[in-house]
Amino acid sequence: MKSSRAAKTPRKKPSKLALVNGEMCGLCEGCSAVCPANAIDVLEAFVVVIADKCTGCGTCLKVCPVGAISLVER
Amino acid sequence: MSSDNHIIVVGAGPAGSSTALAAVRAGASVTIVDRKTNVGIPVQCGEAIGKLGPSIAEIEIPPESIRAPIRGFRVYSPGLVSVDFAYNEPNGYVLDRRVFDKELFARATEAGADSLLGARVIDLTRTIGTVDGIVVRHQGERKTLKAKVVVGADGTNSEIARLTGLRRALKPADLDSCYAYEMTNCDLEFSDLMEFLLGSQVCPRGYIWIFPKGEGRSNVGIGVGGGFGTKTAREYLDHFLKHHEVARRQLSKAKVIECRVGALPVCGPNEKNVVDGALLVGDAAGHVHPITGGGMGYAVVCGSIAGKVAAQCASEGQVTASRLKEYEIQWRKRYGEEFNRSLKLRELLIQAEDETLDKLAGLVTGESVVRLAAAKKIKILVKATATGDTKLIALMNGLRKLRMV
Repeated sequence: MKSSRAAKTPRKKPSKLALVNGEMCGLCEGCSAVCPANAIDVLEAFVVVIADKCTGCGTCLKVCPVGAISLVER
Repeated sequence: MSSDNHIIVVGAGPAGSSTALAAVRAGASVTIVDRKTNVGIPVQCGEAIGKLGPSIAEIEIPPESIRAPIRGFRVYSPGLVSVDFAYNEPNGYVLDRRVFDKELFARATEAGADSLLGARVIDLTRTIGTVDGIVVRHQGERKTLKAKVVVGADGTNSEIARLTGLRRALKPADLDSCYAYEMTNCDLEFSDLMEFLLGSQVCPRGYIWIFPKGEGRSNVGIGVGGGFGTKTAREYLDHFLKHHEVARRQLSKAKVIECRVGALPVCGPNEKNVVDGALLVGDAAGHVHPITGGGMGYAVVCGSIAGKVAAQCASEGQVTASRLKEYEIQWRKRYGEEFNRSLKLRELLIQAEDETLDKLAGLVTGESVVRLAAAKKIKILVKATATGDTKLIALMNGLRKLRMV
């Protein structure tokens, strides 16, 4: 499987998690391209956030053209 | 499939198909792999291309993909001073990317390339550090495909770039966050000019485009700098369509027939695009104009270079980075300086305030900007100096350094 190059494992479990609204997402893949933890995978028809990798940093929110991503409490 | 000079191209967009075509023409055996099962869909693009790129790449633009011949463009400054940049004859086209991508892909396969659709790359295989294949998920199974050279033409969010370590995660500001509509019932002022609108209120670090597609149709979109502005790209575009006078004039009756999103790497090419056994082309390599966001021309030219070099190296059995570097040398020779200059120009434009851009546009409005004679340029510089506006003079000095004026 993938190496853990970008996946910094935080000491404490992060309090937030990115959530992609599949009804709004248009699959531009910008969020995946900027995710510092490599936590967002793009499959054929949808985007998945890998909860174990997501640090809740919110970088992905900045590039979503439709505002489909939000941070939720874990 | 497993011949000695086999090349795998990941991604069946213009970059991938032109790479495959060039490699097949040079005698290699090629498989094009794409994650999607429908090539060309969804469209994530303004769909404009110049004539030059395809002609250099020896690729005929599929006639059935051409929607409108284009002579040039009109730029509106933030205060709506317009500057035209147009030739007398068409020098480019607005395309239907669904047809364009599909046709290039079809031609690559007709020339001899194999295809594997619906296959998502999950890993690379290596022998003593040299990439020699990919691992994909295809129809629920894990499969390994071997190759002498792996070409990553898999776009902004390139998995090959990530797996080869040629690109780490991008920063939001490296991207333009794009949203676009394909529209009908448009009443455009020009059928053969593209329109661009600048301004921090209209679109922070980026522009809105209106591209004619013939028969009252258009591609209207926006590219906002990642992390810039206060709204999403879609909100900026919708606001423009509702409230902006340029939109009201031309698009008040327009109807949306397609919504599109995209993410464009406008940060310039990657520092390195080759490793042992693999290379990158197109958006994956950062081959996108940092200001216009145009990438198809670069993609087909760099793709054709990549295809030839990859085929040559594969047939010789020498696929180390130092051999594949020939590709890097050749594309940099053609476009390296262009990318460098555009990046610097972009910095100037980002720093310029709306008012300064208006003044600059005021100096050149009404002129034929395509062939500004040296005397005209000096006149413009003199006029700029005469305004005594320090910001405008600073911008002009910056442009002079880049030999733009």
